[in-house]
Amino acid sequence: MATLSSLSFLTTRAVANVPLPDSKNGCLVKVLPYLNQPWKRVSQLGCGRMQVVRAAPDRISEKVEKSIKEAQEACSDDPVSGECVAAWDEVEELSAAASHARDQKKDSDPLENYCKDNPETDECRTYDN
Amino acid sequence: MAVSTLYTTQALNSACSISTPAKTHVGFHQKQVVFYRRSSKRVGGGGSGVITCSAGDSQTVVIGLAADSGCGKSTFMRRLTSVFGGAAEPPKGGNPDSNTLISDTTTVICLDDYHSLDRTGRKEKGVTALDPRANDFDLMYEQVKALKSGIAVDKPIYNHVTGLLDPPELIKPPKILVIEGLHPMFDDRVRDLLDFSIYLDISNEVKFAWKIQRDMAERGHSLESIKASIEARKPDFDAYIDPQKQYADAVIEVLPTQLIPDDNEGKVLRVRLIMKEGVENFSPVYLFDEGSTISWIPCGRKLTCSYPGIKFHYGPDTYFGNEVSILEMDGQFDRLDELIYVESHLSNISTKFYGEVTQQMLKHADFPGSNNGTGLFQTIVGLKIRDLYEQITSSKAAAPLEATKA
Repeated sequence: MATLSSLSFLTTRAVANVPLPDSKNGCLVKVLPYLNQPWKRVSQLGCGRMQVVRAAPDRISEKVEKSIKEAQEACSDDPVSGECVAAWDEVEELSAAASHARDQKKDSDPLENYCKDNPETDECRTYDN
Repeated sequence: MAVSTLYTTQALNSACSISTPAKTHVGFHQKQVVFYRRSSKRVGGGGSGVITCSAGDSQTVVIGLAADSGCGKSTFMRRLTSVFGGAAEPPKGGNPDSNTLISDTTTVICLDDYHSLDRTGRKEKGVTALDPRANDFDLMYEQVKALKSGIAVDKPIYNHVTGLLDPPELIKPPKILVIEGLHPMFDDRVRDLLDFSIYLDISNEVKFAWKIQRDMAERGHSLESIKASIEARKPDFDAYIDPQKQYADAVIEVLPTQLIPDDNEGKVLRVRLIMKEGVENFSPVYLFDEGSTISWIPCGRKLTCSYPGIKFHYGPDTYFGNEVSILEMDGQFDRLDELIYVESHLSNISTKFYGEVTQQMLKHADFPGSNNGTGLFQTIVGLKIRDLYEQITSSKAAAPLEATKA
């Protein structure tokens, strides 16, 4: 179980460092329309600043781990105290947030996200007849 | 931002009144200014000037949904908003950690936003989020009341990632407002504002199995930590959250299956839809004959099912002193034709066309619970809410017509 979880950790790390072409990273969004039309080259293809994609699952995962340790410590003193209960409640809250973040990340498709905001661009036109 | 619309005099009659803007409001007060043109010869400047409508003609229907965290509320919300059409999304351009979901007709508010204590505050005081002391029920009541009467509010945001209370966001009154969280029916003032309320009651074994599924992929979690977390929250849950189920108009109870002896995987579920009798604009779903007790196994000559099959039960009962009808499903759907067969035998499901339930379930076949009673009953409750909404809006629209006739 330990190796499996560390493997998943590594993969999320790797993905997080690649700048995804989502709407937060304005640079690649500018470049994307020209990928289909290479003759229209963007004169300045460089990105001013590499935006770090918010690796939400990572941050939250660390928080979950930390909160579990803290809860275990708080409860070792007194299992029925308010601190112990509040600490486990925090674990529950963070686990829920982590699972929501995982679901959202699973669903988000960069092309779909781009097309939702810009349906008239060439990549996003649909011809239904 | 000001939208001016021209109404005919008839539509204006009941909803609007000439009033001074002395209404108390929370946050941003949205006024709709309508210029009133009399049918007499006098054109323009029809006397007293301005009539302000507080959007009373767009009645907001308020639905409450209660459940512990990790109990399928978000899945329910997605099914519900899908029944009304359109996908619900977080507000564009706002706080990315907002808990609110907005679609064309529906706005879903997470009641965690009304926490009075943030995470550090709760830790200091040693209270859980389940404790009423951690929530501001006065603000919840005021804002839900304001939204129900058509006034936009500035609602605080509770950031689940940081555990802090973020600056408020503007919420405009929608056609349907859903408040979901731990305490929608706890405060009796808020309870009176609800047009319909639902409680998701998950039994302990199923809750444990679901939380394991959710959390085992997280580093740091183990079976013991998940168990300890559930046990630690149980006293507060039993004291503050569980009693809300007696007030709910519909309870979806999820239990382990009875079809497989000694099942502890929790994959096959027994789901009971407990519907209160006598609720306005809500008629319970029934099987074959309303008010009788029916036990039904659809698998047989006309329909072949795989192990463990499907079993239905319907009957009247009492639940916390209230008269209820209970529709129960145990088992799983494996194929499309099982689903459509079952749908064709259920009555009072408020579908607009034959096969609507099946279509909705198929649309979200990837959601958890799509092959058992949880998905089926959530979809059916969604359709009943749509029916309730249409009944409320048509009855309110009929009232001014009657007033003009009289």
